[in-house]
Amino acid sequence: MSAEAEVWHYDGRNANRWRARLIGDAASFRLVGDGWDSGPYAWDSLDALDLAGRDAVFGLHDESGWRIGFAEGAIPQEIAALLPHKSRYGGFIDRIGLWKASVMLACAAALVLFIGASAPGWIAPLVPQSFEDNLGDAMVGDFGGRICSTPQGDAALAALVARMDPHDKARSIEVANIPMVNAIALPGRRIVIFDGLLQQAKSPDEVAGVLGHELGHVEHRDTMAALLRQLGLTVVLGGMNNSAGANINTLLSLSYGREAEHAADMTAIAKMKAAGVSPLPTADFFRRMTPALPKDGKGKTKDTAESLEEVEEAISWFASHPSSASRTALFANAHDKRRRYQPALTPAQWQAMKGMCAADKKVKPASDFGL
Amino acid sequence: MDEEQNSAFAFEGNWKEYAPIAFTNLLLTIVTLGFYRFWATTRTRRYLWSRTRFIDDRLEWTGTGGELFKGFLMVLVLLGLPFLFLQFGVQALVIRGMGGIAAALGFVAFALIFYLGGVARFRALRYRLSRTYWHGIRGGSDDGGWRFGWSYMWRNIVGVIPIYLMVPWAMISLWNARWNKMSFGPHGFRSNARVKPVFKRFLLFYLAPFLLAIVGVAYVATIGGFIGSVFFHTNYPPVIAAIALVVVIIGIYALLGLIALAYYAAFLREGIGSLRLENLDFKFEASTDDWLKLFFGDILLVVATFGIGWIFIQYRHWSFFIKHLEAYGEIDLDALTQSTTRESRHGEGLLDAMDVGAF
Repeated sequence: MSAEAEVWHYDGRNANRWRARLIGDAASFRLVGDGWDSGPYAWDSLDALDLAGRDAVFGLHDESGWRIGFAEGAIPQEIAALLPHKSRYGGFIDRIGLWKASVMLACAAALVLFIGASAPGWIAPLVPQSFEDNLGDAMVGDFGGRICSTPQGDAALAALVARMDPHDKARSIEVANIPMVNAIALPGRRIVIFDGLLQQAKSPDEVAGVLGHELGHVEHRDTMAALLRQLGLTVVLGGMNNSAGANINTLLSLSYGREAEHAADMTAIAKMKAAGVSPLPTADFFRRMTPALPKDGKGKTKDTAESLEEVEEAISWFASHPSSASRTALFANAHDKRRRYQPALTPAQWQAMKGMCAADKKVKPASDFGL
Repeated sequence: MDEEQNSAFAFEGNWKEYAPIAFTNLLLTIVTLGFYRFWATTRTRRYLWSRTRFIDDRLEWTGTGGELFKGFLMVLVLLGLPFLFLQFGVQALVIRGMGGIAAALGFVAFALIFYLGGVARFRALRYRLSRTYWHGIRGGSDDGGWRFGWSYMWRNIVGVIPIYLMVPWAMISLWNARWNKMSFGPHGFRSNARVKPVFKRFLLFYLAPFLLAIVGVAYVATIGGFIGSVFFHTNYPPVIAAIALVVVIIGIYALLGLIALAYYAAFLREGIGSLRLENLDFKFEASTDDWLKLFFGDILLVVATFGIGWIFIQYRHWSFFIKHLEAYGEIDLDALTQSTTRESRHGEGLLDAMDVGAF
C-alpha cells in the first residue's frame, strides 16, 4: 500500500515549523518538504502525544522534540490504522479500562492495607532476637543512668521477677527514677518500671500485674512490631502525603494496638495464675487509673469516649495502655474465689522496692529526663 | 479579552475540559493509596501545558509519572535517612543521656535536609524546563545544583542573621543564581533582579517573622510533647502527635501565606520582570489584589465544594500564572536550536516532598 497526507513538522533541531508531505507504506514513511526530505521512519517508532487542540500529534521514540501533526480530519483511513493510540491514564489502566482498573486497584489497596496492618506482627518474630537485643541496647543503653539500685531493692525486685518470670523471658527488669505512672517493654527484651508507678501502686500485686502485662509484650515481641510499624508509617505517610493517609493509619494502628494490649493482658493473667498472685488488685489499679469509670467498674465505656480519653492523656499511662471497663473486668473475672493467693512480695520487700529510687544516692535525678 | 489576545502568553483551557482529568486523577489516586499521584500530576501538567499558548504554538509537557516516582524514591533515601534519625535516633540518644551527641547529630541531619532543600529547588526548575517543549525545543541546565545547595544554605543563614533584614537579598540573589544557570534551547537565561524594588514591601511586612516566631514556639512545643512521650512502646501517641504537627504546619503556611502575599507579589514581579532569554524580556503583572483574589477564591472553592474543589487548585494557579505572564521581544526560530543540556532521568521528587513550588 502507499498513502499520503499533509503534516506540519518540527525536526527537534531548531524551532522552525515545516510543512511536509508524509508518504508511507505498510512498514514506514518518509517526510518530503520544500527542498528536503527525511526518513524512512518505522510506524512503530512513533508515540501518540496527548496534545491539545484538534491536531493529532506524534513524536519519535528517540528523537527529542521531533513532531509531526495532522490537521483535524486530515488523517487518511489507511494511515490512521498504522498510527499508535494515545495513552490516557497510563499503562495497564488504558488496556483494561478505567472502571475495571479502579475496582481491581481498590481490591489490591484493601489487601495492601490489610497486610500492612498485620505485617509488623508476623515480621517481628522473624527478626533475630540478637539483632533486637543489640538494637535495644543501642537505643536505650543504661537509660541515662536513671536505673535505681540498692541491695535490698534489687533483692526485692529479683524476688518479684522470680515469681512472675521464672523462665527468664525478659533479659532485664529494672526500676527507673522517673516519676511517670508507667512501665515499658523496650526492644531487646528489657522491661523498665517507672518509680512513679511504684509510688501509685497500693500493693506489690498491682506491680506484678503490670509486670505480667509487659512480659506479655516481650513474649509476643510487640515492641519489635511497633518499631516496624513506625518505620512503615513513616514510609507510607510520605507516600500519601495527605491527611486521609494519616487518618487511615491512625485507625489501623489503633486497632492493632488494642489487640496486642489484650493479648498482653491475657499473658499477665496467665502468669499471675501460675505465680499464685491475685488479679484483683490489678483490676483495682486499672479502675483507679481510669477517672471516667464508676467505682463498681461495671459501666460500659463507649469506644468513642475511650479514644477521646486516650488522646487527652497522650503522655500518661493510658496512652500506651488503653484502659476500659472491659479491661478492668477481665482481671476482676480472672479472680478465683476458691483459690488462696500469696502476696507478690513480703511487706519488707515491698517497702525496699518502693523506696529504692529514693534510697539510691547515685541515680540521676528524675528532673533530668527532659520531659 | 483583547489584551489577552495580544499577549505572547495565553491560557486557553477551560475547567469543564479539565474536570474529567481531575476527577479520574482523584479516583485513581484514592484506589492506589496515593501512588497514582505522580501520574496524576503528569496528566494535569500535560493538560495545562498543552492549553498554554506562546505566540503561535502551545507548550508541551513531556515529563512522565515514572520520573516523578523515581524522584520520590530518591527522596525516601536522601531525605528519609536524616529524617528517620531526627525522629528515632535523637530521642534514643536523649533517653540514654547523650544529649550533646544527640544535638550534634540532630544538627547534621537538619543541615543535610536544609542543603537538599536548596538542591531540590534548583533541580525542580531544571526538571520542569527540560520537560517543557515549544516548537520541538526544550530547556534545561548543565548544572546539577549541588553548589546552589551551599549557596542556598549560607545566603539564607546570612539573610536571617541581621534580624531577618537581609531575607529579600537572600531570595533575590538566589533567584538570580538559579535562573542564570538555566537555559532554553541554546540560549541561557539572564536574571538581574534587584533587592531595592522589593525591600520596601518587605519592610512593610517586617512584622511577619515575629508572628512566625510565636507560631514557631507552638510548633516546638508540639515536638517537645512528642519527644517526651514514650514512643517505643506498643502505642500510638506519635501518630496523634504527627497529626497535631500537620495541623500546626498547615496553620503556619496559611497564616504566613496571607501575610507574605504582598511581598511575594512584588518579589515575583521583580524576579520574572528581570528575566531575559536572548532577545526576549519577561514580565509578570499580578498585583497583591490579584493574589488575594486568587487565594480567597481558592478557599471559597474548596469550602463551598466540601473539599472536592481542591482538585482544581493546580489548574487555577497555572491559569493565574499564565494570565499574568508576558513576554516582549523577538525569537529567531533558526537560531533557537535544540538544547544540549543533559536530561535528568528523575523528576522533582525532592521538591515534591518538601512542598515548595518551582517559581
